[in-house]
Amino acid sequence: MSEDAVLSLQSHSTTVDYRGKVPVEHLDYDYIEKCKDVRYLEKILRTLRSGEEGIYPHLIKFCESHLEKLDPKSRALRKEMPVATAASLSKDEWSQIEDELKRWQEETKKTETTLKHQSVFDDLVKENMPPVRGSSCFVPLSQKTVPQERKKPSKCALPRDYREWDKFDVEKECEKIEEDVDKTDPPAIINSGHPKIKTQVDTSLLSQQEKLFLANREKDKGNEAFRAKDYEEAVTYYSRSLSIITTVAAYNNRAQAEIKLEHWHNALKDCLSVLELEPGNLKALLRRAVVYNHMGNFHMATEDLRTVLREEPQNTTATQLMSQMEKKMEECQQEKQRKGKKILIQEIEEADNQTDSDNKAHKTACLVQPSQPVGGEERSATPVERGDMGNAHKKPHGRGDGGPHAESNSSHHEHRKNRGSSDKYKVPQEKIANGSSKRGSTASVQGDQSGSGKATPVGGNAGETVNLDAPCGALPPPLARLKNEGNLLFKNGQFADALEKYSQAIQGYTDSGIDSPEDLCILYSNRAACYLKDGNSQDCIQDCTRALELQPFSLKPLLRRAMAYESLERYRKAYVDYKTVLQIDVSVQAAHDSVNRITRLLIEQDGPEWREKLPEIPLVPLSAQQHRREEPPSAEVLQARAEKAARDAERKAEVRFSALKQEGNDFVKKSQYQDALGKYTECLKLKPEECTIYTNRALCYLKLERFAEAKQDCDAALKLEPTNKKAFYRRAMANKGLKDYLACSSDLQEVLQQDPNVQEAEKELEEVTKLLRQSLASTSPNKPRKTVPITEVEDDENVTAVPNSKNSCKGEDISINLQPASAYEFGQSLNAARSSGNTVACAELLASTAPEMLPQFLSTQLDGHTISFIMQALHSHLLEKDPYLVYQHLNHLHTADRFSVVLMLLEKEERHHMTQLFEDLSAVQSTQFTKNDVQNLANKYI
Amino acid sequence: MSSPLSKPQIITHIQKSLNYTVFDSKWIPCSAKFVCLGNFPSGTGVIQIYEVNQGEAQLIKEVEKPKAIKCGTFGATSLQQRHIATGDFDGNLNIWNLETPDVPVYAVKAHKEIVNSIDGVGGLGIGDGAPEIVTGSRDGTVKVWDPRQKDSPVANMEPMEGETKRDCWTVAFGHAFNDQDRCVCAGYDNGDIKLFDLRNMSLRWETNIKNGVCCVEFDRKDINMNKLVATSLEGKFHVFDMRTQHPTKGFASVSEKAHKSTIWQVRHLPQNRDIFMTTGGAGNLHLWKYEYPAQRCKKDSDCVDVGVAGSVNLLQNVTLSTQPIASLDWSPDKQGLCVCSGFDQSVRVLIVTKLNIV
Repeated sequence: MSEDAVLSLQSHSTTVDYRGKVPVEHLDYDYIEKCKDVRYLEKILRTLRSGEEGIYPHLIKFCESHLEKLDPKSRALRKEMPVATAASLSKDEWSQIEDELKRWQEETKKTETTLKHQSVFDDLVKENMPPVRGSSCFVPLSQKTVPQERKKPSKCALPRDYREWDKFDVEKECEKIEEDVDKTDPPAIINSGHPKIKTQVDTSLLSQQEKLFLANREKDKGNEAFRAKDYEEAVTYYSRSLSIITTVAAYNNRAQAEIKLEHWHNALKDCLSVLELEPGNLKALLRRAVVYNHMGNFHMATEDLRTVLREEPQNTTATQLMSQMEKKMEECQQEKQRKGKKILIQEIEEADNQTDSDNKAHKTACLVQPSQPVGGEERSATPVERGDMGNAHKKPHGRGDGGPHAESNSSHHEHRKNRGSSDKYKVPQEKIANGSSKRGSTASVQGDQSGSGKATPVGGNAGETVNLDAPCGALPPPLARLKNEGNLLFKNGQFADALEKYSQAIQGYTDSGIDSPEDLCILYSNRAACYLKDGNSQDCIQDCTRALELQPFSLKPLLRRAMAYESLERYRKAYVDYKTVLQIDVSVQAAHDSVNRITRLLIEQDGPEWREKLPEIPLVPLSAQQHRREEPPSAEVLQARAEKAARDAERKAEVRFSALKQEGNDFVKKSQYQDALGKYTECLKLKPEECTIYTNRALCYLKLERFAEAKQDCDAALKLEPTNKKAFYRRAMANKGLKDYLACSSDLQEVLQQDPNVQEAEKELEEVTKLLRQSLASTSPNKPRKTVPITEVEDDENVTAVPNSKNSCKGEDISINLQPASAYEFGQSLNAARSSGNTVACAELLASTAPEMLPQFLSTQLDGHTISFIMQALHSHLLEKDPYLVYQHLNHLHTADRFSVVLMLLEKEERHHMTQLFEDLSAVQSTQFTKNDVQNLANKYI
Repeated sequence: MSSPLSKPQIITHIQKSLNYTVFDSKWIPCSAKFVCLGNFPSGTGVIQIYEVNQGEAQLIKEVEKPKAIKCGTFGATSLQQRHIATGDFDGNLNIWNLETPDVPVYAVKAHKEIVNSIDGVGGLGIGDGAPEIVTGSRDGTVKVWDPRQKDSPVANMEPMEGETKRDCWTVAFGHAFNDQDRCVCAGYDNGDIKLFDLRNMSLRWETNIKNGVCCVEFDRKDINMNKLVATSLEGKFHVFDMRTQHPTKGFASVSEKAHKSTIWQVRHLPQNRDIFMTTGGAGNLHLWKYEYPAQRCKKDSDCVDVGVAGSVNLLQNVTLSTQPIASLDWSPDKQGLCVCSGFDQSVRVLIVTKLNIV
């Protein structure tokens, strides 16, 4: 058949008559292949199958497969199939099924016998059984009533008799019409509102067996409702199941349903119940993370997710959630910055420390770069971040290859926790990136290690702008391109595609016969990363081994192989690899963590002699054994060496500098300002251009009330960094101390101009303006008021950073309003008392508050610490004086909003306090309440 | 597209030929035993109990009864008692204690003619409220019985005088999610489906599917009614979404023509209400899954809620024999295990695999 003929047929086929017979020409491979009309194809298939035009088994098959491609659900494809037998399954499958059956048979036999034994109680009539329905109710088979009603109006359509007009009642007629309208259009009955289902099941008369059976049934019903997206119903059924027997599964499922309904507190409760029954239940942890995430408690959420990922690194849900949360957290942080909380100022100060050293490393990295033609642009695209706010995100050095275990690295870095975990998903980007650019260079390694922390905003952009044709080592351009494409795909998370690219590159490499083991090693190593991501640990190990054959003791392949071994639970080999990694570079945190983890596992597994069972750990030659960041640039020339020497000296200075600074900071925290002052001064000797040190020293001077020096330091800081908010603020304080209110207010205004959300600054400004006015008005300045607020604010800074240092608090002269009239005032007073740890004040406050009002007052700010603080106050001051008041307070406290949730969040010690209080309370003899009352009350708390 | 091996497979585990016509087969709850009901060629009825043991069905007990037995149910008995209620060709409703099956524990002349169908609720923890049995008969009536009340039904659904009585082929309980609400659905030979509300003692809904209704079943008896499947004589079945009842349009439905012959029965998987098996007149079984639509309810042009039907997917189909498969029963205890009997005088225990992953 010619081309044209086929085409004409095709166009014809669109108007084909489905009822007519299929022309013989259409029973043709070409025609069938080109036919897109499912219905017509079905018809062709039917004709073919009927054998009217002869039997063509191959053509039939071809037609079927084509049809399946177009419409997999086509009815014509349904074939009569014989029933399967044991023989049609694989042996394993069948034996599994058989075993299951056998087990079931045995189990049911047992349950049956127990059921029979219980049948003695047969005669027990269920008391709660509803009575027999009214005897022999008659239900008509057809809805006669409806048509009758409809007939009536047709009669009324006749013209009315004149006599009737006299009796005509307009209103009645109107009502009738309205009624008719109502009747003809009753509302739809929707069976989804179901308040009538009981959430409790009466199980008083059931045996254990029956309960189990019932609980399972109810749970199944819940599952089904869940699948049908009927979450409320699902919750009801799960609750029913739980009311019969409490099971982990039902709690877990109910938590999920509650999440869908966005009942966060209920979901949280359920998760907690699961974790109580089965600590470490992954599903529950994951769900709790979701709940925390929605409740805005990102720290707890990340912690949970991290636990999940530690157990199950491949868990995609957790991974997704993690990245989602990372985004949110970033937003949050930005918001926080805008709000300018007190905490932030302190935090930045500490972060500065890190930043500077990071920046240093970065600068040196950039310096070396010109001599590195390979893949440098990726890193140079990550600009050195300078401003102080953003640096809070920065991550400590020495991250190395994070991989799936990276999350455990950061757990030590207290306030950076959240970042650390989010980094986990960024690390692979860098991994590959530096895999291509490394080529034994110091600088790039250093660069990417310091850069890996801030990958989020910058690294991503850099990745997208990667030039695909960038040269890669000794690789010819087509291979280099393949590799770069692979890198890009990897970064985008398309691991399978990246894998293919790398495989092609490797193939091309062997075909081209180039001799560049480094490049091949990198290719293998990168492909191994893909395998690892895909969970294909076997192949990952293979590739890593190949890479290591080419380049013994290269870090990345070793680390990847270790991870692959670990995921295969071959802990000994993993241990050896991690140990080797650590020999090469001790600073790889992931390796440290893994070694610790594996050691624990091996001890569990092999007992105390676990070391003897280990394969030999290879001794890493000295040439390969170094701190990665100090690794000498093998390809470098003299210039780099000289630079390195300079850098070493610089680094030493830096180490000393940061040590000094740290000591200084520590002293500040301990309120030993004089000592801190000394340290900072030494710091400045080493590095006179350090802005933060000036501001920190200014703080010390302020504390020591040496305002003039403080002002000088602030001036110095501002010279270095003309927009340093903190310097302005402290200079303002210094000026205030020096009674130079005008300068003070202008400094404060400067602060507020930079960041209008700094609340202290606003407060100060108000006060200073007042003072300014006073000083202008009268010659005698108002002395006693001014020093106190300064210390107060500074103290607050300290307290937020170091919550434990209560000793530095000087809040005695904070006036506490002991007669609160509103929740706001109460909250203010309570907070004031709490921040100063003043339980006496709190006790007085409580004594003057009506117990009935307590929940109302508390509702807005109920948290664990408040509760425990109140408990303390009650215990230490009120219990002796007025036990009844304590009882009444406790009696009302638990009715506060969110009380039960908060209760769950109490720490052990706080709980202990509580029990102590109740014990003491029950020991009190009183006429107003009995021991039993106290006991009942205690049950609500503990 | 899933590979053929990832689909559920229907496997014959046991096949047992019998020397009588078997009409119904039912698993005894909480056991590995099932009951077969039928009639001997001589016209007398028979109850047989088999136990599944090591790939074989062992006959444990056999009782002969004077009248051929058409149908049976365990729906209204407690797990401890496990009494079976049967309907026979003579219109009798009997409840038997299978331990001592010689005399019925309850007996009533329920109908004038053969009891075509029977269903129970309120027992086995399925559905709150009183245990009740519903029977449908050729005499055109549908009656609800309470085993605690002798001789007379607690509800009687029969045609008014002058109305032609239709042969009731099938009955089913549903909507028993608390101890008051309860519905009975009945299917008739003329294609009528009627839904009776036992709480209000009224006809709640009726429709006609044009062909005789062979079997109706709710996906679950003990929930707020969710779905109803009705199978018909000419090989079609209809799935009604029972959640939203439109004042005029009633319930939304989707229909599927699967078998080229009568669909004798439909049974929902006890562990997953969205999976059900239909049995055909040509000896074939079809396993289906119902997929819910994105929105189960929408507003029509008058802003009245109207239901939206989903779709059904064929999961697997097999041909067991050339004769109709008249009954099928899923094991309530073991997911995927079912017993079916056909007019080829044999009973089969089938295993359906991979039901938990579809």
